[in-house]
Amino acid sequence: MSGMIPGGWSFVVAAYSVTAIVLAIYGASVIARLRNEIARRNDD
Amino acid sequence: MLTAALRKELLLQWRSRAQFMAVFVFGAAALLLFSFAVGPVAELLRQFSAGFLWLGLLLSSTLTLAESFHAEMENRSMEGLLLLPANPRALYYGKAVANWLQLTLLGIALIPVMVVLYDAGTTHVLMLILVIALGTAGLSAPGTLYAAMTAQVRSKQTLLPLLLFPLIVPALLASVKATSLIILGDPMNQVRSWIVLLASFDAIYWSLCGLLFGYVVED
Amino acid sequence: MNVDNNRFPRLPWIILGLGIVFLAIGSYIGLFVAPPEALMGQVQRIMYVHVPTAWNALLAMTFAFICAVVFLFKPDWKWDARMEAAIEVGVVLAFLLCCQGAIWAKPTWGVWWDWDPRLTTTAVLLFAFLGILALRKFVDDPARRAIWSAVATIIAYVDVPIVYYSVRWWNSLHQMQSSPETVSRQFWLPLRMNAFGILFLMTAFIMLRARVASMRLTHELAPPPALGETA
Repeated sequence: MSGMIPGGWSFVVAAYSVTAIVLAIYGASVIARLRNEIARRNDD
Repeated sequence: MLTAALRKELLLQWRSRAQFMAVFVFGAAALLLFSFAVGPVAELLRQFSAGFLWLGLLLSSTLTLAESFHAEMENRSMEGLLLLPANPRALYYGKAVANWLQLTLLGIALIPVMVVLYDAGTTHVLMLILVIALGTAGLSAPGTLYAAMTAQVRSKQTLLPLLLFPLIVPALLASVKATSLIILGDPMNQVRSWIVLLASFDAIYWSLCGLLFGYVVED
Repeated sequence: MNVDNNRFPRLPWIILGLGIVFLAIGSYIGLFVAPPEALMGQVQRIMYVHVPTAWNALLAMTFAFICAVVFLFKPDWKWDARMEAAIEVGVVLAFLLCCQGAIWAKPTWGVWWDWDPRLTTTAVLLFAFLGILALRKFVDDPARRAIWSAVATIIAYVDVPIVYYSVRWWNSLHQMQSSPETVSRQFWLPLRMNAFGILFLMTAFIMLRARVASMRLTHELAPPPALGETA
């Protein structure tokens, strides 16, 4: 391995974006499911 | 207790030996299909023969393992067996050993198929049989446990391989490497290390699955 | 389970907020403040999220294993709920790890997958735990579901070191180099911040997801009274 890897920024951006997007989507899905359960609990 | 369980299992398997023939034909067919994936290139086929053999065995094992609890499910005899003052562990080891024997026999039966299709002969037949025995033991231990679980569940045919395949990766790797070295030559004598890895995997899983089997069948 | 389930819980939100803040600051430092590394250039920055994700994925799986063992010894539904949450979060983190690993590998090694033992073990683990989630979906009886998935989790987790060593050895025979994952000392700040960030996020997710699981279990175990009809 020698020298700098050119054009690395696009990969860096991709990695950080994927991380942010996956965590955000999963978080949103958990919160949505929790809302559902609470709504169902309130209906009973 | 264990011998009684084992004897029952072997008797059951002897009675359904037609099923063994069917699984053997399936395995042989799989080996044939793999050669179509590569093409009629003798060199490549020989190089990958170990991988093909073990993939064929792995796929066939899902059939064998799924079948092994068929009798219990058909007649609901599982509950009957568990009512006996018998250790569920004996039930597990009886089944696991029976499955192991059947898979080893299958592996040995597939050797000539492999030799013919891939020109993958070897003089170290005993060593090959040892590797097949150890490798199939690695498939049989967790496989029997998962077969007991999935037999009682819908979508059982998908669940068994889904659960089993990731788990047995080390056994698969070690078996393929060891077999490959036996067939293609082993200048640095690495076979022993792979066999040790395989034996360790077997030791760990034969004990762990036996321990946990009680939880799987209790009510 | 004597928590008021009708309001949104407060603690996980605080932890979630903390997690986002830490992750944002850590990522900012990692992206713009820390200097590019000598050999790898900008691509090294990926490590500031990749390594924290790796630590937390393993942590989630370990927590799932602990919940499984505790559940088998002391069958309390809350451990099953926590285990379900930990498995799901672990799957998400493992999946993320594989994505990050592939994005790292392409500029570094020229291929999307370089069979690095750590990443390959993660992939195997991902499939194993996905299988356990599938198992849970197909078993209707809650008690059986809990016991069986606990057993499966224990079996899968015990396999992790075995898979790692076998892949590592399988790799070494072909002289593959494993990805350099050491980070120079002066760059530890973004790494630590992101590690805490993802840790807080993960904890909040597990808490919330476990809450979902408990509520579902409560619903399953005590169906609403029949409307005048006998069962």
